[in-house]
Amino acid sequence: MPSLPRLTHHNRLLLLLAPYLAGIILLVALPAAMAFGLAFFQYDAISPPRFVGGLNFILAYTDELFGLSVQNSLSLVLLPAPLRVLGAFLAARLFQAGGRYLAPLRAAIFLPSVLPAAAFALAWLWILNPLFGPLNLILRAAGFDAPAWLADPAWARPALVLISLWQIGEGFLVCLAALLDIPPELDDAARIDGAGTIARIWYLALPLVAPVLLLLLFRDAILALQDSFTTILLTTQGGPYYATYTLPLFVYEQGFDLLSFGTASAALWVLYALAGTCVLLLYLVARQWQIGTTEGHFLL
Amino acid sequence: MKRDSRELRGRLGRWRDRRRARLLARLLVTLLFLLPLAWMVIASLYPPGQPLPQQLGRLPGLPTGRNFLRIWSLVPMGRYTLNSLLVCALATPLSLIVSSWAGFAISQLSRASQRRWVLLSLAALMAPGVALWPARFFIYRELGWIDTIWALIAPAWMGTSPFFVLMFFRAFRRIPQAIYESARLDGAGVLIIWRRVALPMVRPTAIAVALLAFIHYWGDYLSPLLYLSSDRLTTLPVALQLIQQMSRSDWPLLMAAAVWATLIPVSLFVLAQPVFRGVSQPEET
Repeated sequence: MPSLPRLTHHNRLLLLLAPYLAGIILLVALPAAMAFGLAFFQYDAISPPRFVGGLNFILAYTDELFGLSVQNSLSLVLLPAPLRVLGAFLAARLFQAGGRYLAPLRAAIFLPSVLPAAAFALAWLWILNPLFGPLNLILRAAGFDAPAWLADPAWARPALVLISLWQIGEGFLVCLAALLDIPPELDDAARIDGAGTIARIWYLALPLVAPVLLLLLFRDAILALQDSFTTILLTTQGGPYYATYTLPLFVYEQGFDLLSFGTASAALWVLYALAGTCVLLLYLVARQWQIGTTEGHFLL
Repeated sequence: MKRDSRELRGRLGRWRDRRRARLLARLLVTLLFLLPLAWMVIASLYPPGQPLPQQLGRLPGLPTGRNFLRIWSLVPMGRYTLNSLLVCALATPLSLIVSSWAGFAISQLSRASQRRWVLLSLAALMAPGVALWPARFFIYRELGWIDTIWALIAPAWMGTSPFFVLMFFRAFRRIPQAIYESARLDGAGVLIIWRRVALPMVRPTAIAVALLAFIHYWGDYLSPLLYLSSDRLTTLPVALQLIQQMSRSDWPLLMAAAVWATLIPVSLFVLAQPVFRGVSQPEET
């Protein structure tokens, strides 16, 4: 490069990394630190912020809707996370190897993840429509008592979990890559020794991709919290009777509707605790399995 | 001898049964994942204004494409589509450049530095997006990005997702280091090596990242919702919500809008398939 004559090769490499690092600082690290501190201020985005000590925490944590939103987030997003990762793993295992037409079948599993979340949410709103929705037409034809799904407080949460199970494309691809990293000789040897399908999954594939599954689990839990927001806004808006009212909705209403960004930030501290735990666990997992250091297996 | 052949036939039969069971399971799972999409498309072809069937197997009339025309008379769908395309046209190449630069540079660093960057990327992956909404709003405001296209493409400055950087890192480190070394000895600079040597060798990864980035920006509903204040730059996901608010129970119309918003990413995804075929299944039988 004629424009950078003095730099060493190493420094030029660091220059290539500069946009990435600057982006992470500006778009992740700085906002995280800001929201962390904003919890101690009263701020409506117009007048200058005013220090109010712990008031925002009292406001947020005594709000009944806040408690409800945390509960709903747990049951709607965090508990189904293992289910989604397991689904991604089993799907990846099913389409791992052998047979023709694997590529189009794999693409079909990924296809729902290609859809815009808003379009997919609308599609499910139609599928789960109590009167005309195709799912309930089938259930009624089969003689079942079809539930009202998203319109019923008891069924709205399972329905949202069901919807989220279709968009597991990233987890599917990561599991597939991890499974394909396992030397096929291992699987062949186990097969010759008479290990059945389930035994080979349980004793061979699962332990070998366990660190990847753990990473996926953390990521899925945190990402799903945000992803579910789009689906919820287009389907239930937090209803019926606040059955699907999650933490992102509380933060959105407090911050962008009521303009009390301090209270919203105080509520976010729950998320920081969650993300902090995940990063800590991630660090321990990475150290235990030496992720990022071993030669052949980078895995993620 | 006779027993041997019988046993062999038995094992062959079991093997065939297992293969058949696996094929059946595969087809069933595939069908399950395609079903929502199929239902969406079918409902979009229902003739407008007809009562919806309440029984299985009944159709409200012959399939028609009229619903697609009805969206265009309801909202300026052309402008929304162009807005979406513009966002993707800017954000996709930018993501590709930033993430491949970072992935390439990391793959050239020492092992200890590699580990640090991978851990940093993984930690950034864990950052909860919701926690960043309010503060990003203030940062964009300071930069004058609110209600401009920059607010919509901002994540592209960090390569959209550390996941993309890790994908590139994974691809670049598989290329033998000697190839880079020889290019360096020939006097090629870092940018030349990246553009002429490294990038052409990881074409499938680059296309996958470009596709994923496109899909991300095309489907992004949050950024317009949080950081736009006028409808000048409204993109398709927000348009879907507008249409939903206008005619809540006109299902054929809503499904037609959903199909329209889905058409381009799905087409690109299908078109890109041949590129991935060779990579994802190296030990195909």
